[in-house]
Amino acid sequence: MTVLTEDTGNTETRTSAAEPQQARRRRKPLGTRAYKVFRVAALVAVVLFLIAPLFWMLLASFKTNVDIYDTGKSFLFTPTGENYANVLQRNNYFVFIFNSFWVAFVSTVLSLVLGVPAAYAMSRFTMHRSALVVLMARVIPGVSLLVPWYYVFSNLKMVGGFEVLILSHMFVSLPLIVYIMMSYFDSLPLELEESAQVDGLTPIGAFRRITLPLAVSGIATAGILSFIFSWNNFMFALVLSGSKTKTLPVAIFDFVSYASIDWGGLMAAATVVTIPIMIIALFTQKYIVSGLTAGATKG
Amino acid sequence: MKRRSIVKYAAVAAALSLGLTACGGGGSDAKAGGTVRVTLANHVWTEGIKAAIPEFEKASGLKVELTQLGEDQLSDQYNVKLNAGSDEIDVMMYRPLQEGKAFAKNGYLADLTSKVSQDANWDWKDYQEGPVKATTVDGKVVGVPIITEREVLYYRKDLLQAVGVQVPKTMEELEAAAKKIAASNPDTAGFVARTGKSAAVTQFSSFLYSFGGDFTDASGKSAVNSDAAKKAYAFYGGLIKNYGPKNVSTDMSWPEAMAIFTQGKAAFYTEADSLYKNATDPAKSKVADTVGFAELPAGPAGSKPYNIPSWGLAVNQASSNQDNAWKFIQWATSKERTLEAQKAGVPGPRASVWADPAGTSTYPKDLAAAIAASAKAGVGHDRPEVITVGKAREIVGGPIVASITGGDASAAADTANSAFQTFLDGEKK
Amino acid sequence: MSVLTPPRSAHSRRAGRTPGARPGFSAWANRHRKWLFAAPAMIFVGVLIVFPLAWTVYLSLTDSQGSVRAASEFVGVQNYLTVLSDVERFWPAVGRTLSFTGVALACEVVLGMGIALLLWRPFRGEKWVRVAILLPLVATPVAVGMMWRLIFDPNIGFINQLLGMVGIPPQPWLSGQDTALGTTIFMDVWQWTPMVVLILLAGLTSLSEEPDEAARMDGANAFQRFFFITLPLMMPTVIVAILLRGIDALKTFDILYATKGKGGGSFHEVETLNVYAYGLSFDYNQYGLSSAVLILFFMIIIGTMWLLTMRKKAVSK
Repeated sequence: MTVLTEDTGNTETRTSAAEPQQARRRRKPLGTRAYKVFRVAALVAVVLFLIAPLFWMLLASFKTNVDIYDTGKSFLFTPTGENYANVLQRNNYFVFIFNSFWVAFVSTVLSLVLGVPAAYAMSRFTMHRSALVVLMARVIPGVSLLVPWYYVFSNLKMVGGFEVLILSHMFVSLPLIVYIMMSYFDSLPLELEESAQVDGLTPIGAFRRITLPLAVSGIATAGILSFIFSWNNFMFALVLSGSKTKTLPVAIFDFVSYASIDWGGLMAAATVVTIPIMIIALFTQKYIVSGLTAGATKG
Repeated sequence: MKRRSIVKYAAVAAALSLGLTACGGGGSDAKAGGTVRVTLANHVWTEGIKAAIPEFEKASGLKVELTQLGEDQLSDQYNVKLNAGSDEIDVMMYRPLQEGKAFAKNGYLADLTSKVSQDANWDWKDYQEGPVKATTVDGKVVGVPIITEREVLYYRKDLLQAVGVQVPKTMEELEAAAKKIAASNPDTAGFVARTGKSAAVTQFSSFLYSFGGDFTDASGKSAVNSDAAKKAYAFYGGLIKNYGPKNVSTDMSWPEAMAIFTQGKAAFYTEADSLYKNATDPAKSKVADTVGFAELPAGPAGSKPYNIPSWGLAVNQASSNQDNAWKFIQWATSKERTLEAQKAGVPGPRASVWADPAGTSTYPKDLAAAIAASAKAGVGHDRPEVITVGKAREIVGGPIVASITGGDASAAADTANSAFQTFLDGEKK
Repeated sequence: MSVLTPPRSAHSRRAGRTPGARPGFSAWANRHRKWLFAAPAMIFVGVLIVFPLAWTVYLSLTDSQGSVRAASEFVGVQNYLTVLSDVERFWPAVGRTLSFTGVALACEVVLGMGIALLLWRPFRGEKWVRVAILLPLVATPVAVGMMWRLIFDPNIGFINQLLGMVGIPPQPWLSGQDTALGTTIFMDVWQWTPMVVLILLAGLTSLSEEPDEAARMDGANAFQRFFFITLPLMMPTVIVAILLRGIDALKTFDILYATKGKGGGSFHEVETLNVYAYGLSFDYNQYGLSSAVLILFFMIIIGTMWLLTMRKKAVSK
């Protein structure tokens, strides 16, 4: 039961290669022609529903503002790269891209360092209440944290750099990582560790040399998801970032100024924020799916 | 082998990132005299300043660290950072009428009274009276106005001509013209303006004053249900309800209202003059050639638009770098820079720049004339002058929306009046 | 598995046996590895939660406003009384929070189940459909909010343009008093149905085939098999999906802020508890009231989670 989440990932890769054997293991397809037609139509509708808005955003990012305001030019227009030049050059988006990347990367790495051993201990010693403490971070409303955090950190002279931002993002990442890794460690058989200990390894040694390497795909899953969540985080970055640390989600608002909304620039910025994370998601699909569904199939 | 190296890599990566973060943090400790940290809102004014900053850095030897944010995000950040007593900000761009009083009362803004009077060349006396009043709290100067606005009438020359009406000089004429145009053009609204409860308050304020009312009376009591106020509410809402766009939204701030006007779907539009470029720039507006400007039509009490500083610069009280901060402000608000900004389309607060023909050279002639007239008769606030402006706006904005949606504006004004009085009593404590 | 029920460890066992341990630090570390491993993460979260939470509780009992550094007086439970008797902002916000979460989750589960069933059996092009499902899920919520703002714009938006083609008059969507909340729910459904699909699909894939086969032998049709066999077996997974989504849905902030700004619009039409608390803090600077709202909000979240966890336990049995 416990390894099922991993199985999902595997099944998926195999079926996409369309191995007949694998297909047979799954259910027999329903025979009726009507259902087949309905299924194709429904799937097309689903894909359109999910993709069309993103496509529209992409389209608008290549339009001038006059064209955006002109409903006659929804699809037929002369594309312009001006919005992207505006976003990337004049608005220094490379700096924000770097900031976003850096905050997401460091907070993920640090959260992994703290979270993976914790998840291991919590899984192996069934520390339910302790796990609750960490998972509580996911439940608490973020608004209640902002003012106190900033107050403390500014008195500790820790503001202005990346520290506060990274700490706040770790606060989002850590529970996620603990949550995913706990169900992952639960699914790893204990026997390997035990036999390693019989062979003379200390328990920590067994964790380091046996369990951890076995958990690499779980760690990748947790790390990727934590990166994505950190990249997308808005509320903490909104109030805690400073001049040098502004991240992309906050920078999007640069195009909503007092004297005008620059829709073209806004859509280009939204695209620039979204594209990197989508590319990462495409290449790590398997991990993301197994992370999001972690623990979902257990009783 | 492989397994061990994975652990090793993870450890190295962790150590590396820790170390690098520490370095990143180290750089932020730039309190040294050589740097001034400036936080500005997204605005045309900011674009001009940003481009000119190297000049300042060269002349002063100071380094400028600029943070730029949207106006709401800016105020969110102030509310966290200044609240915590952070010295991370030296110079701050703020909205004197929106948050000035609250910030001053919370002790966020440094007293600039002695600084503004020191430099005769920079010339504080050159500043218009209305804006100066708005950046002075309890007798202390806490900010320097940078951008001013007045409400003017935007109109479509072609539509007026087509039905043969003159540019309205009074509110009655405005209503009659809107009615006539709406009747002869089924797709075009006679009149459009902001409709959002909170957003509309500022643009409604000029109607209120022109009808002879104000948000509070001379003794500081709520006055939003005075006869004048009730008439103003009914008039503003009625214009939009009767001659406004069909299915009008009651959540329009200026971008939505402006879009309707610049799409050619409305004949008249009352809005802040500082937004005029949205209507005259062919890249943003379909009606760039046919837009005209006029002074706000006169009501029973004459034409009394607001004339306010929408933005000012202030120094953070907690900053340990106040002298350099002042140096930046002095430069950014100098006559030369104000002229430059004004030429770029940002109406400034300096009388001398308005008197200078170069100061209005880039403005449409009718707009320059409307601004000059408005500046004379202008009222120094466009919203209730209280501490928690956000809440007050919502209270006094209620009847506007009621009136637009065809509700009982008079009853709504009575309700708003008692709520506003309770609110004012609460603030006095 | 939920936040309130950490994964049941499959192999829990007693600590203390440390074969092969060396003396000194290593032995000590091995003996105490349970807390050595768990403590840093717990301390980190604990420190970052306990102080703010304690402070929030404290502020909620004072009349703090303007600046948190300004002098404030202890007013006991006055703020809670004020908030709980506030039928203009607080209770409507509670209602909106619950209806936003409830409606969005209901749509997501129903749609999610439908899509998961469509995807259940392999087909050609499955890979591309899966990509399409993943994209909304990882897209930055603020960017998504901006995207919808343009698409739903009453004057220039694509949706009204589409409606115009089939002769339906333009709708105000986000800017309408009655339509705004529904529109934001739609956005949430667009973005998060994929997550529900993935969770339910994982559940479906793990189902045993026998009950279904048996029912088929007995002549049950597809609908009967779904409602009497598959759905009951899927209930625990469905509740997990609701739990995971529910926490985030209750706390939704990004898309509401991006589309309607502070205060949730002229009539506070999308003002949920989170948005209300944010506005009280950062627009009105009424920290006492805001803290009381936050504490109540926190209790509502915990309460909802607890109810769902109980429900799940009942279903799992």
